[in-house]
Amino acid sequence: MFSLAMRSIRQRPGRFAATLLSAFLGATIIMMFNSLLDTAGADGVDDTSAESLSTAAMVVGGYGSLLVFFAVASTLTVAVRQRTDEIDLLRSTGATPAQITRMVVGEAAVVALAGALLAIVPGMVGGRILLDMFQDSGQVADDVDHVFGTVALMSGIDITLLASVGAAFLAVRRAGRARAGRAPRRRLRTWGGYAALGLGAGLCLTGFAMGDAGPEAMAPPAYGAILLSVGFAAFSPALLGGLLRLAGGVLTAFGGGSGYLTVHGLRQRAAQLSGVLMPMVLFVGISVATLYMQSVENDHIEAAGLTRSVDDKNLETLNFVVVGIIAVFACVMLVNTLYAATSYRSREFGQQRLAGATPGQVLAGVGLEGLLLTVTGVFFGTLAAVAGIVPFTVARTDHVLPEAGYGIWAAVAGVAAAATLATALGTARRVLRTPAVETVALAA
Amino acid sequence: MFGRNERRGPAGPAAGSAPHEALRLVKVTKVYGTGGAEEAAVTALDGVTLSLPAGSFTAVMGPSGSGKSTLLQCAAGLDRPDSGVVMVDGAEMTAGSETELTKFRRERIGFVFQQYNLLPTLNVAQNTVLPLKLAGRRVDRARVREVLARVGLADRMRHRPDQLSGGQRQRVAIARALVAAPSVVFADEPTGALDTRSARDVLGLLQETVRVDRRTVVMVTHDPVAASYADAVLFLADGRLVGQMNAPTADAVAERMTHLGDMYEAGAPQSGAPRTAPMGA
Ligand SMILES: Nc1ncnc2c1ncn2[C@@H]1O[C@H](COP(=O)(O)OP(=O)(O)OP(=O)(O)O)[C@@H](O)[C@H]1O
Ligand SMILES: [Mg+2]
Repeated sequence: MFSLAMRSIRQRPGRFAATLLSAFLGATIIMMFNSLLDTAGADGVDDTSAESLSTAAMVVGGYGSLLVFFAVASTLTVAVRQRTDEIDLLRSTGATPAQITRMVVGEAAVVALAGALLAIVPGMVGGRILLDMFQDSGQVADDVDHVFGTVALMSGIDITLLASVGAAFLAVRRAGRARAGRAPRRRLRTWGGYAALGLGAGLCLTGFAMGDAGPEAMAPPAYGAILLSVGFAAFSPALLGGLLRLAGGVLTAFGGGSGYLTVHGLRQRAAQLSGVLMPMVLFVGISVATLYMQSVENDHIEAAGLTRSVDDKNLETLNFVVVGIIAVFACVMLVNTLYAATSYRSREFGQQRLAGATPGQVLAGVGLEGLLLTVTGVFFGTLAAVAGIVPFTVARTDHVLPEAGYGIWAAVAGVAAAATLATALGTARRVLRTPAVETVALAA
Repeated sequence: MFGRNERRGPAGPAAGSAPHEALRLVKVTKVYGTGGAEEAAVTALDGVTLSLPAGSFTAVMGPSGSGKSTLLQCAAGLDRPDSGVVMVDGAEMTAGSETELTKFRRERIGFVFQQYNLLPTLNVAQNTVLPLKLAGRRVDRARVREVLARVGLADRMRHRPDQLSGGQRQRVAIARALVAAPSVVFADEPTGALDTRSARDVLGLLQETVRVDRRTVVMVTHDPVAASYADAVLFLADGRLVGQMNAPTADAVAERMTHLGDMYEAGAPQSGAPRTAPMGA
């Protein structure tokens, strides 16, 4: 079965592009930040430099890794779900469930490993650039040399591998259950979701207690916001279902044929869309949370009439780099997953066209769906972010909400909407270029 | 049972002009694979000319690769011929955009596929009314129920395709093809994936559409028994019409097919002497 896995990868490298890309990017980010730990631990690094570096690595390596883990896992889940037909075929030709699981998990492992190995060089380069940035802003002594050691290497490989293999295993098991006619159990997802929500809420609440604990007080609410994002994403199918119940009547009444396609399609596909919602909620949650907390921190320092210390600057650079890298990563994952999910629908679009939908109607349906996805994703991402921002603001200032206004939020939401709609519509347009008859024949 | 919609637009035939033409193809040619320099071009349709009267049931037969599916798809506006004219119900099919073709098809054409092509996320009733919804037409509940009752699925309206047998799925597909009251219904191996009994049901439905509603049905099949349900069989080989049989019986069709097979396996002239056009246009 492992040789079957290898063969299927070699035969159709294209279909693994999405998972390979997510593993590669995820591992690059982890390796890049964690190489700062290797650097800090090297001989002859002074204490201040070492501390700057480890704070960066701990904070970012921490929540960056968490984010990478869930983003990679959601891409993998989408990828495995798309292979139901092939898995059914294998099953009907006599493969046992265990053999199928070994094949899918084996493929996931090979692809994750390949992604992680490819990430080594970019991770090294990225780590060196980060170190340069710290040195340029005077937070790390100039004589510190960049080290890319076992911590960076092992954490990069391990986290990527664990996320891929774990998600593939769960997805293939779920597919098997669904086929056996048993209602797919979502216990793990449900309990995982509750755990993430509980833990996230707890971390956010500790923000209240942090008071003047210094700028590090930002870390727990930031972690909290990420965990809440993950929790919301776990429940997103139900949440999307709720939104559809609210908006469904209006859409079918006024959306014409496209509204009809969207509402009825989404209702059934809500579960699959959580794979796309996960990176979107994470993107919105982490960007909004970090950017507002930083603005609160800056206001706080100004209000106290203090000039900003090296530590403060350190944290600000760090936050912007982090939010930049992590936000770009989450955004790329959103695009990546949505691209994979949309191009997979060529057969479905073909069937719609054969039933009498014009290309314009198919596109309008995809656009509507993207809009609903964006609304859901932005809503829950914002909720998660606010849960992190409020405790921090209360602890740092004497009001509840930051004074920065809605501009940052609107910008983040705008990017999420643009990325979602551009990807979904662009991919659908490309898919629509294939004649409808061919798209339904292809998958046969 | 199926109320025939008033034909829209000036394209419709003059009322009362007894047996008018439902489908006409004039010198329709389709060549695949002219793009790449390396791959040899395949002439899937080689100047096919035919004419089918309204209210006829025609079967199209021929060896695998003879161009049957291509013929149906070109006639139904799912594929574009390289040259030639296709007229459905008196209106010429334009070589315009996909949107224009789609609108042309909505008004006039129903298509039934071997692999059903129902939308998996919609239930039976939703799949059936989909063409109407997409065309922005009013959905008459009573009519949907009537169409589904006709195909024997009135009690399955809320089931999704994956909860139905192959035969039931194909009957939903037929209901969907009929719901918009098209003039011509095309079916590409509609019984190809079905057992004998389900196949008989499906063929009976297609026949009823012709006899009762006076629609025109064109069906590709490999099965002589299925072909015997039709009024006439057209034989296709190498992208050309090579024969016709009226009032076909299963035995006669089977016999003719064997000869067709022999003829081509023996390497009969591919483009030699012109064969007689099987149908007067
Ligand atoms: N998209 C395509 N690209 C290239 N060649 C094609 C394409 N579709 C069909 N052909 C070729 O055109 C010819 C006619 O194909 P067609 O599918 O119409 O045959 P058919 O009579 O329906 O065969 P079957 O009975 O096996 O379904 C064949 O030689 C086929 O290989
Ligand atoms: Mg065919």
